[in-house]
Amino acid sequence: MDATDRYSRQILYPEIGPDGQRRLGAARVAVVGLGALGCPAAALLARAGVGRLDVVDRDLVERSNLQRQTLYTDADAAAGRPKAEAAARALSEANPDVEIVPHLRDLSAADADAVLDGADAIVDGTDNFDVRFLLNDWAVKHDVPWVYAAAVGASGLTMPVIPGRTACLRCLFEEPPPAGSAETCDTAGVLGPVTTVVGALAALETLKLLAGREDAVRRGLLQLDLWHNDLRPVAVEGPREGCPCCGRREFPFLARGRGGTASSLCGRDAVSVRPAGDGAFDLAATRDRLQRAYRVVDVGSILRFDVDGLRVTLFADGRAIVHGTTDEARARAVYARTVGS
Amino acid sequence: MKVTVRLFAALREQLGASSLEVEVGDGSTVADVVDRLADRHAGLREHRFATALNQRYADASAAVGDGDEVALIPPVSGG
Ligand SMILES: [Zn+2]
Repeated sequence: MDATDRYSRQILYPEIGPDGQRRLGAARVAVVGLGALGCPAAALLARAGVGRLDVVDRDLVERSNLQRQTLYTDADAAAGRPKAEAAARALSEANPDVEIVPHLRDLSAADADAVLDGADAIVDGTDNFDVRFLLNDWAVKHDVPWVYAAAVGASGLTMPVIPGRTACLRCLFEEPPPAGSAETCDTAGVLGPVTTVVGALAALETLKLLAGREDAVRRGLLQLDLWHNDLRPVAVEGPREGCPCCGRREFPFLARGRGGTASSLCGRDAVSVRPAGDGAFDLAATRDRLQRAYRVVDVGSILRFDVDGLRVTLFADGRAIVHGTTDEARARAVYARTVGS
Repeated sequence: MKVTVRLFAALREQLGASSLEVEVGDGSTVADVVDRLADRHAGLREHRFATALNQRYADASAAVGDGDEVALIPPVSGG
């Protein structure tokens, strides 16, 4: 039987076994963020035979990703393909038996339910605290385990969160650090082996969860500083008394509306802009208007045009990536002036 | 009494060491250790971090003893 062949070495490992493999095959997992952490995590989960994999990313493949984002090819970067699409194709090629569902979007409080409902576990492949705190609130509220994972430079930090039974992200860090205060891949660089190790660790804890082996899941943080050969577990007992999230069940990151936001993209000369306000965005109508002033390249799911030496990529949900700047105000301004907000 | 402070990631870079020794009085807490270190390294006050005592998560009010290890854990965001 093919399934047995494909997964035979994993089934042979007694802690997984045939029963664990059956559970994996029936499980659904969302990987949010398909950068240097999400690529290895998604690849390992697909190859391990999870039933369904939802892959979520707002970004496009660029050349500067290829050093560490292992699902993408040089051709993906040359074409500027959306990461969720390129990843879905690579993952399907690796294991056609897995149902891969790509989501080309910037996960927000408004659409978290639509993307995450039904997930048995969530893997953090993001590059920013906004989405991590959103994931934490969503996961605790809906009692779905998630795995925090982060890396910059040669350092990493990861912790599985099982709502109600382990600490959550806000047990440790009550609020996200102020914008611009934490190192990013822009300011500190990042090494491919380091992100791959951290992404693989996140995939491993996810496999334990999905295989029904919560007993084996690491309780607490793992700090890694791999250039200095320093790996340090930090035991964390259950949820912290007084945690606003798992203690008081306050979920402010879910309540924050879809405000107009702009955030520079880690490791990229680009800014992601999301328009204020809810409501449907009409990509075709926008294209028709833009074509009066700009040469617009329409590739179906996205539009692309140049303005003032910047390149704007516009998605069907109204979000845009403004390439050629890290100035969020400038990006917002270009968005307002061209797309309108 | 002497306490070892372990630094990590951005804090290791900023303070230029992976561990430092801090001298504190009897009855001190994790917060006292951090304060003593910040007296020497003012930049520490600009950072937010979680703390661990002897490789277990501990909040700022936890009592420290001679020879204990306090670890500073800044949140890591990239990916
Ligand atoms: Zn909590």
